[in-house]
Amino acid sequence: MTAGYEVSMKKIAVCYKWVLSDGDIRVNEKTRELDMEKCKPQVNDYDRNGLECGVQIKKATGRELVGVTCGASVAASAKDALSRGLDAVWYVEDPALAEVDKVGAAKVLAAAVKSIGDVDVVICSEASSDDYAQQTGPRLAALLDMPSVSYVVKVGAGGDAFTLERRLEEGMETVEVTAPLVITVSPEVGDAPIPGVKDIIGAKKKPANALTLAGIGISADAVKPRSTRVSVLAPAMSRRKQIMNPEGVSLDQAAAALVKQLSTDGVL
Amino acid sequence: MSVIWIVAENPDWAAVLVSAAKSVSADAKITVFTPSLPADGLWEDYTPALVAKAKAEKPSLILLGTSRRGRDLAARSAALLDAPCFSDAKNLALNGNAFTCDTNVYGGTAVRTDSTTEPLVLATIGPKTFEPDPAGVAGASVGTLEYSPGRTKVTGRKPRPPQTVNLGEATKVVAVGRGFSEEKDLAAAKELAAALGAEVACSRPIAEFFKWLPEECYIGISGQIIKPQLYVAVGISGQAQHTFGIRDAKVIVSVNKDAECLMHQHADYCITGEWQMVIPALIKAVKA
Repeated sequence: MTAGYEVSMKKIAVCYKWVLSDGDIRVNEKTRELDMEKCKPQVNDYDRNGLECGVQIKKATGRELVGVTCGASVAASAKDALSRGLDAVWYVEDPALAEVDKVGAAKVLAAAVKSIGDVDVVICSEASSDDYAQQTGPRLAALLDMPSVSYVVKVGAGGDAFTLERRLEEGMETVEVTAPLVITVSPEVGDAPIPGVKDIIGAKKKPANALTLAGIGISADAVKPRSTRVSVLAPAMSRRKQIMNPEGVSLDQAAAALVKQLSTDGVL
Repeated sequence: MSVIWIVAENPDWAAVLVSAAKSVSADAKITVFTPSLPADGLWEDYTPALVAKAKAEKPSLILLGTSRRGRDLAARSAALLDAPCFSDAKNLALNGNAFTCDTNVYGGTAVRTDSTTEPLVLATIGPKTFEPDPAGVAGASVGTLEYSPGRTKVTGRKPRPPQTVNLGEATKVVAVGRGFSEEKDLAAAKELAAALGAEVACSRPIAEFFKWLPEECYIGISGQIIKPQLYVAVGISGQAQHTFGIRDAKVIVSVNKDAECLMHQHADYCITGEWQMVIPALIKAVKA
């Protein structure tokens, strides 16, 4: 290599969403409204598989691995994401992103990926646990003018060449493509390990870089939601929640009572 | 919403989407595109063709199916057309120039209703959301899209093996989750299913990560959505993504060692205990 001339290393960017833990949502039985008080922010479950897929592609191709996210309050996500194998995180935090929809989020992520530079592999997961809309990966590919390969369950990578297996309703499809590209992965691509103590301590030493909307060339207008939320309500679900084996009732007694009840209900 | 476009993989999808279009506007001018699957390319790579045509002819609503290909084509096109897209939309309606629809959020815990006055809206529609229009695509215009190959090359397609079970038709279902730690443990659940005359199903990880059961056996928002008379969930924690798939079951039973599990909240009858103890007791009671 000639002195003074540096070949920049190509990067894999894994997009992740900092979501509220939906398992902690409680429903107000009367109003059907959602109580989110117990919910905690976390890396979207599906994106953990995306991050792990990034780790595997880094191993296979030697690229640098960075995470990208955006939202109104996402700076705190960096440490968590960095404990999952990333070399660095880039985040766009702005109050204007509080109600950002899929149209706006894809624009912000695309602009962030361009700002980071040298990214030729983008990984998204199938969906986020909150909206499960399954749009961000393909939207991002379109905006970045990169090929989109979605619902990927197996990744073969060597240099710039990728062989990807997609699982579709009708069966499997094998796709060959050369970077740059956007890969959208299904959870089946691989279980994500839980970060260990070493990973969590190591995360503190890795860079978390803040980007601003203005800095990446996105106006506040561009991220205004394109629809108005009329309501978010839990559907009425009235289940009996009858405990068949309260204290003092044996499993045999409970099983017999249950079978009798199911006959009465006409479902046996 | 006077001009509605439908982009379908096949006539079955098209018939469902025609129903959806008519539900929005009875007198809409409907055009149906059913571009064929390229031999060595992605169906989703009809995106540039659809986008160019939509920019020129300006439809107000474009409907696609919720198949994986349909969702991908919808999202890519929406991005290039700078338009909102509603995934798996239900209860589509038009009030004046405001389009409203419902989508599921938080894994099916809640339904969000959105309203928009955007000049162009895209939506994907689930296969069972609308009855297929009996007239099929008869009253609609037929449109064509020119395929331009992308940089991807499809080098193989393997059809999914024929389904061994049809959970959609099953009246009774016993489902297993991560409460089972070894494949051989499934024998107990199968024995219970045999005693009840039930089919065996599972939660997503059992099929996808462990592959103990075929993919068509997993129940949930991204898998099978069923409405059996009886659903017995054994060792399933009951996340919303799973219970979404059994919302319309007549009776739900939960067997779980954790009394606080979410599955118990979504069940009619709950037995708290280790499945190793509960299943034999249930089999004995059924056979008694």
